[in-house]
Amino acid sequence: MSKLDLTDTATLAVLTDMLTAAGVEGLEIKTADKQLRLVIPTSGKTGASSAVDAKVGTGSARKAMVKAPTAGQFQTLNTIDGKPFPRQVASNDVVGSVRIGLVLVPVIAKCAGLLLNPLVKQDDLVSYGDPLFEIELQ
Amino acid sequence: MMETNFDRSAPGFDTVLIANRGEIAARIQRACHELGLRTVGICSEADKAASYGDAVDTFLCVGPANASKSYLNQDALLLAARLTGAGAVHPGYGFLSENSKFAAAVEKAGLVFIGPSAQSISTMGDKIAAKRAMIAAGVPCVPGPDTALPEDADEITRIADEIGFPVIIKAAGGGGGRGMRVIHDRADVREAAALTREEARQAFGNAELYIEKFLRHPRHVEIQILCDTHGDAVWLGHRDCSMQRRHQKVVEEAPAPGISLDVIGPVGLACVNACKQIGYRGVGTFEFLFEEGNFYFIEMNTRLQVEHPVTEMTSGIDIVQSQIKVALGQKLAIDQDAVLCEGHSFECRINAEDPHTFLPSAGVVADIVWPHRDGVRVDTHIYEGYKVSPYYDSLIAKVIVHAPTRAEAIAKMRVALAETRLEGISTNLPLLRALFEEAAFVEGETDIHFLEQWLKSWSTP
Repeated sequence: MSKLDLTDTATLAVLTDMLTAAGVEGLEIKTADKQLRLVIPTSGKTGASSAVDAKVGTGSARKAMVKAPTAGQFQTLNTIDGKPFPRQVASNDVVGSVRIGLVLVPVIAKCAGLLLNPLVKQDDLVSYGDPLFEIELQ
Repeated sequence: MMETNFDRSAPGFDTVLIANRGEIAARIQRACHELGLRTVGICSEADKAASYGDAVDTFLCVGPANASKSYLNQDALLLAARLTGAGAVHPGYGFLSENSKFAAAVEKAGLVFIGPSAQSISTMGDKIAAKRAMIAAGVPCVPGPDTALPEDADEITRIADEIGFPVIIKAAGGGGGRGMRVIHDRADVREAAALTREEARQAFGNAELYIEKFLRHPRHVEIQILCDTHGDAVWLGHRDCSMQRRHQKVVEEAPAPGISLDVIGPVGLACVNACKQIGYRGVGTFEFLFEEGNFYFIEMNTRLQVEHPVTEMTSGIDIVQSQIKVALGQKLAIDQDAVLCEGHSFECRINAEDPHTFLPSAGVVADIVWPHRDGVRVDTHIYEGYKVSPYYDSLIAKVIVHAPTRAEAIAKMRVALAETRLEGISTNLPLLRALFEEAAFVEGETDIHFLEQWLKSWSTP
C-alpha cells in the first residue's frame, strides 16, 4: 500500500468526500512528524450514521438490532480481535465496521448485552440500514 | 450468463448504476438488460421493497428516505458505484439528472455519465447562455434581448416598450414556473423587476434577470433530439405537452397536432445544428412555445424526459437504449432520412393524488388491473401491495397508446383508462377519463392554459 500524502490537497478532498458520504464526523491521523485532523460539518447532507438500532421482543427474549450505518463491505469484529461470538458488549462498543474504499465506518452497539453471531458474512456488500447483529438485552 | 450485443471493442462499460427510483429506474433496468449490461439499482430505505430490486443484478440501499440523504447524495452514489464495480451512471430524470457538478464528479471518478457533458448541462441550464447559443444556431427564440437586464428601471422599461407588452421577466437561474413575473402595463415594470430580482437572489443565488415577450395562448411543443459523439445528430419528431397544471405535464402526445412538417421541419433541423455546434451528446429536448405558426425556444432539457415513450411509439426507436449506446461510444445507427414517425401516441401520467385537490395520496395499492391490448404500453414500478411513499413524486405509472390516427389513439386511450383499476389509493384516473371526453381536447391544438381553465368547471360525475 502506498504511503498517504497528508499534504496533498487532492488526497484530502477524496478523504473528505469519503467521510461525508459515510456520515463520519471527523478523522485524525498522527504520524511521527505530522498530525492531520479533518472535521466534517454535521449539518451536511448525509445521514449514513443515523441508522437506528431497533429493540424488539419482551422480557427475557428482548433483542436489539444493530444496523449498517452506511452501504459498504461488512467487516466482523472478530477479524479485529479474534474473539468468538456470542460475546458481551457494552453500550457504544464498536462491534464491527463497514468498509468503503479506504474508510472503515464503525458499527456501534447502542446498548449493552450479548452480541450474537453476525447476520451477514465477512466482506458481504451491505445496504444502509441492513441488520448486522442482534444483541440479547440484559 | 446474458449475451451482450454491443461492441465490446469500443471504449465502454458493462455495468450501469441507475441513480434513480420508480418507473424510470425500472425502464432503464430493462433497457440495460436488453443490451446485455449488468445493472446496479440504488434505493432509499423507503424504497427497499421496489419491484426493480429483484430485476437488477445488485440492489443497494444508500440512505434514509429523505432524498437529500439518498437519491441526491452525490458522494453516496459515487461510492455505491465504486463498491459495485459500475462503470457508468444513468441519472434518469429529476434528482441529479441535470446537475452539472454531479456529471463532472462522475467523470472525474473515471465513470461514464450517461448524458451530456457537464459543460453542456451547465450552458443549457443558464437561460441566457442557452438563448445565446440557440440564436447563434438559428433556433427561433422569444423576442427580447439575449443579455441580462440592466439594474436601471428606466432602461428596463425602455426595453419592455421595444418588445411590446405584455412581457415576462425571468430569473436566469429559475425554472418550473419559479422566479418569473408577467407585466401587462409599463407602470408596473419598476416594482416587478425589483421583486423578481430579489426573489432570484434569495432562491437561486443569482440576481440576473432577463425579459422577453409574453405569449397569451401558446402551446407547449417540444422536439426530441439524439446525438452521438461522432458528430452525428437526428431529431425524432415532436410532442405536444400543453396539458399542464401548474407547469406539471399531465398528458402528452406525439406528434403535436395540426403542425405540418413544412412548419416544424426547419426548426427540427435548427435544433440538430445547435447540438452539433455545442458538441452535445446523448438525448435532449428542445422546448418551445408555439403560437400563430411561430416557434419560440423556452429551454433545453439535457436529459431523458418523462414523456419519451410517445416518441418511442411513433418513431419506433428505443430512446433509452440509444442514449446508452451513445455513452458506449457507438455511432448512431440511423440518419435523419431513416427517421419515420408514424401514427399518433398519447401518454397519461397516473399520479397517486386526489383528482380534485391534487393532494398526494399515500397508502397501499390493494388491487391493480392494467389494460392489455395491442398498441397499449404501461410503464410502472408498482404492484399489488405496493406502498406509495409520501417522500417522493406522486407519479406511479404511465399509460401509453399508439394508433394510426389521433382519433383512433384517443379511442384507444379511453378504453385503456376505463380498463385501468387501482384500488386502495386515490389517483387522477377520473380526471384523465373526463379529459379524454372533453370536446376541446379531443379536437386538439389547445393551449397551455386550457387544463387549468377546464379544471375550474370540472367535477366528477
